[in-house]
Amino acid sequence: MGDRGVAGTIEPGDHACLTFSDAEERLDLVAAFVRNGLRSGSKVVCWTDAHGPERLATELALRSVRAGAALRRGQLQIAPISTALFSSPGADAARMVDALAGELDLAGRSGYSSVRITADMGWATRPLAAAEALVAFESAVADLFTDGRLCLICQYDRDRFDAVTLAFAAKAHPKTLTAQVYFEHPLLRICRQYSPPGVRIAGELDYRHRDILEQALAESMRLDRHMHVNLAGLQYIDGACAGSIVAAATRLPASRRMTLVCRRSVATVLDLVGGGCAPRLRVQAFDEHS
Amino acid sequence: MSTADPPIRDGTGRASVRIPEALDVDQAFDATGLHALRSTVAAHASSLDVAAWQVETLVILASELATNAIRHGGGGGRLRMWHDEDAIFCQVSDEGPGIVDQSVGFTLPRFDQAHGRGLWICRAIARELVVERGAHGRGAVVTAVFRRDA
Repeated sequence: MGDRGVAGTIEPGDHACLTFSDAEERLDLVAAFVRNGLRSGSKVVCWTDAHGPERLATELALRSVRAGAALRRGQLQIAPISTALFSSPGADAARMVDALAGELDLAGRSGYSSVRITADMGWATRPLAAAEALVAFESAVADLFTDGRLCLICQYDRDRFDAVTLAFAAKAHPKTLTAQVYFEHPLLRICRQYSPPGVRIAGELDYRHRDILEQALAESMRLDRHMHVNLAGLQYIDGACAGSIVAAATRLPASRRMTLVCRRSVATVLDLVGGGCAPRLRVQAFDEHS
Repeated sequence: MSTADPPIRDGTGRASVRIPEALDVDQAFDATGLHALRSTVAAHASSLDVAAWQVETLVILASELATNAIRHGGGGGRLRMWHDEDAIFCQVSDEGPGIVDQSVGFTLPRFDQAHGRGLWICRAIARELVVERGAHGRGAVVTAVFRRDA
């Protein structure tokens, strides 16, 4: 297996395998990849499968990526992988490599010095999709990366691909990209959010996992100018953990802020432990019953 | 502990909290049972004809009381809930050292202090919070009175 990396470490010339088991986690990593590509002036292409192009554009916008403007000026392109790679029936590795080379060529002629492509490889798990074409493609594509203009991230759903294919995918890609997960349990998940950057927590959070919460917050505080704490999927927080979040916001210097999204009951606890008095904290509460 | 053993109130004045025969919830808990406890409280509170936000608030209250017993009252305790026309009562008893510092929870701890938010939250939510010694002077019994018209 290649280097393990996170979204920010992807560079021109990289061929990486993004593995994920959580839909939000995948969208986060894709959003960070697109955002960094647009910022660096690259052409960015998203080949979709699980989500259609419109849904992906919406999800990108929700993650602070200005997809609409980039789509209009042609810097960003979102298309179903079925039309992009398999315009004629049947999957064929040589044709897929040609399609990729075509994108690189087209971008060059449009004035982009580099291209970032991300492809949802979920198509290969469908019946009759010829998984061997996937294997041949991932192997044959290597030559396209030699001049450093192309960067490709192939997305693999850990729950849909079998272990043998995943092991192959990890080997065929020089880099592996996974979201950082601080804690994973059916009742609680604490992970890094890549776009907008910060922390995402779902489930029920109490004092028993306060140290992991503080570790995740400390990392975001170190890496991110503004911290985004996404608690949309959090059903419960106790006073101890709410206190840790308010403490983190209180420690931010005046030029930075923490934006927190949560349901009303979580906002109540944050408010009770002094959230309203932390000037750098912005709480966006929603009512889950309405 | 049984309902026949009345708790002994610290300090003077008011009579100790009387636990009725008919309880909505009577459940022992420890740290591993916090999730289940919250579900139980939410389910029972939902059946008492109160607003959704009041159910959420009761869950916060019960969970903080239980957490307090787990962390400072010997690792676990017992939750009782009952109601009358005006109020919902939520009581947590434990067999720990008792709540020695009677001032706890009357001020919000500074942001860099690790402890003390639980009872602060309970005092903020409940109309009244009665802190007593357990039967035979052992442990703590904390009863929160939550007004339906709060």
